[in-house]
Amino acid sequence: MAIKAHTSMAPKKRTATGNSGRSAALFLTPFFAVFAVAMVAPVVYSIWLSFFSEQKSGLGFGASVTKFVGLENYVQVLQSETFVSGLVRLLMYCAMYIPLMVGGAVVFALLLDAGVARAKKLFQLLVFLPHAVPGVIAALIWAYLYTPGISPLVQVLASGGIQLNFLDAHLILPSVVNIAVWEWTGYNVIILFTALQAVPKEILEAARVDGAGEARLSLNIKLPLILPALSVIMLFTIIGTLQLFTEPTIIAKATNSITSTWVPNMWAYDAAFNRHNLNQAAAASIIIALLAAVLSFIVTRFSNKADKS
Amino acid sequence: MKRRSLLIGAAGLFGTGLLMTACGTDDNQAVTNAPAAAPKGEVTFWSSLAGMDKVTEAFNASQSDIKVTFESVPNGASGGYAKLSTAITAGNGPDVSTIEYANLPQFVSNGQVEPLDKLVDKAASVDKYYEQIRGLVQFGGATYGLPYDAAPMIMWYRKDLLDKAGVGVPKTWADFEAAGKALQQAVPGTYLASFNPNEPTVTAALAWQAGGKWFSAAGDSWKVGINDASSKKIADFWQKLIDAKIVKVEQSFSDEWSMDLAKGNVAGVLGANWSATGIQKRVEGSDQKGAWIAAEVPNWGTPAGAFYGGSSFNVAKGSKNPAAAAKFIQFLATDQAAVAARGNTGSAFLAFPGLTATAQKAYDASFFGNDIYAVFEAAYKVITPGWQWGPNWEITNTAIKDAFGKLSTSSTIGAALDSAQKATVEGLKQTGLSVTQ
Repeated sequence: MAIKAHTSMAPKKRTATGNSGRSAALFLTPFFAVFAVAMVAPVVYSIWLSFFSEQKSGLGFGASVTKFVGLENYVQVLQSETFVSGLVRLLMYCAMYIPLMVGGAVVFALLLDAGVARAKKLFQLLVFLPHAVPGVIAALIWAYLYTPGISPLVQVLASGGIQLNFLDAHLILPSVVNIAVWEWTGYNVIILFTALQAVPKEILEAARVDGAGEARLSLNIKLPLILPALSVIMLFTIIGTLQLFTEPTIIAKATNSITSTWVPNMWAYDAAFNRHNLNQAAAASIIIALLAAVLSFIVTRFSNKADKS
Repeated sequence: MKRRSLLIGAAGLFGTGLLMTACGTDDNQAVTNAPAAAPKGEVTFWSSLAGMDKVTEAFNASQSDIKVTFESVPNGASGGYAKLSTAITAGNGPDVSTIEYANLPQFVSNGQVEPLDKLVDKAASVDKYYEQIRGLVQFGGATYGLPYDAAPMIMWYRKDLLDKAGVGVPKTWADFEAAGKALQQAVPGTYLASFNPNEPTVTAALAWQAGGKWFSAAGDSWKVGINDASSKKIADFWQKLIDAKIVKVEQSFSDEWSMDLAKGNVAGVLGANWSATGIQKRVEGSDQKGAWIAAEVPNWGTPAGAFYGGSSFNVAKGSKNPAAAAKFIQFLATDQAAVAARGNTGSAFLAFPGLTATAQKAYDASFFGNDIYAVFEAAYKVITPGWQWGPNWEITNTAIKDAFGKLSTSSTIGAALDSAQKATVEGLKQTGLSVTQ
């Protein structure tokens, strides 16, 4: 019967390809239409915009002309002190956030996987819960928790003899990192935990028979097996981190430590909608996108290598 | 999620650009056929000012030719200008917009608002305004808005705390400093006022009062003087107040600021006439009725003042019915009925002469310990002449806020003005404008 099925499959398959090509096109058209309108077109238009500049003259109350300026907008963006310091700040943010968040997610996921079966579901839920809070709301909650004189957290610390101002220029970066860690760790724990569930039981049993303890099991068996999931997380995290915008924008209302050009995305927003320089904003956005592309490429390269070895 | 929202923004930009080119051609025709005898039709009106819904209703009820639809928008700092600017460029903006004086030149420079000279009855409106406020809506000989509120900078004090410190209402800035010291002695840990890094327009108003000129048109170029001698003087003075802990650096309108007012940690607010509602709302629950008074801002020897905020009404570019829009604007800015219709929504002080009595009647000022409108009147009379806002205030605004971000660590107000000067000159030059220093 198996053979029969196999032989009867062959001619059918040929007709199927002819059909599926057409129906695939039919099903994919909406996607590509939306993709073209909402993704490709804006990107192309942004690139186009970034090569031009609205030039006024004299006092600026006359008409303006659009001039092709080549890479001048890019030069101006990269020469801008605030853009560059925003970029440096973002890199410092990455250096704090990524190890903390990814490290935390790995530890939580391994603990969940190794832990008692009964509490698993509950802990999964608890760990994931912060991610269910929208970013804007999370930032508002944390702004409240950070504001001196209002925050119960600051009050408790103060009564314990610890005077901390989470919103001053020294602590503001860790404070924002903390919000992101709180928001995203749980989400990534779930991804890693799912990957851990797929680790074959036989391998774990074999390791146990060989005398591996839970710690050994986690580090030497499970961790290498979930590396692909980990690299996906890294990719998403890096892209997401470069887009940092919501949290600092909200917190900026509570403190002058966060300026309106604090990170590159805020710089681009300010350029477009406050300073009305769409061309510079486009150039800044393309720079951010290129940076994301380069970093993503590096991460995928690394993880591919890791997979092969 | 973040990435998606960026893309949506980018898609929006894309749409904006298309429409910008699409509707660039027929705009000029709208201007030429403007001053119709009896304008009719529909008008949309965007504003973030309180009570404008009621004013719109009153206008609609008073006549049947023009029907105005009011739409509440966020205030400029919260994205209102971004919305307005993109909407006008995209061709779906309102007929009537509300723009603050500091931001108006930018909209004019971008060609986003219509000149009103041929649309309104100038003799009955534009010409009657006080010179200092009219100068804020006129550029290159044309009028781009009718001033609504004049917002003289006002100093609000907790009178009871001044009494406790044994000082009177400060007349000069030297008195102010002395009062701050006395207050520190009497009630340790109390600040006389706050310095608000989120509001560069206050810093501008302080410089304006002292005779500074951040922007002035000299022939065909802009002269930028954000760190001129008068501005440096006020910068150094306020830095001294900050260092002596007489004023506290905090964002105005933030939770921290509200709490400091409610608890009496800060005894004063450097604001304007419109601050009354905000103060009352924040301290009402803490038994301070009658304790707050309005006072003229301390001066440098002779009475002088400046505007802090205030808005104008404008006909937006692309309006399909500019004549009707202009008629509505005239009602908004100059009519007693418009002022009365707002009701008890705020302590507005109106730029058009002869409206103060009506405004005062509409607003319940019983929370305050003195005649606040008398103070507004006095402050309005001594505005330092000659101030002008630059062609792109937001460049300066961003630069000052950026530099103020470092106030809590190492930087000073003076250094912030220096870097704002540099950034403004650079930014304006980048857009092709002619700039001298």
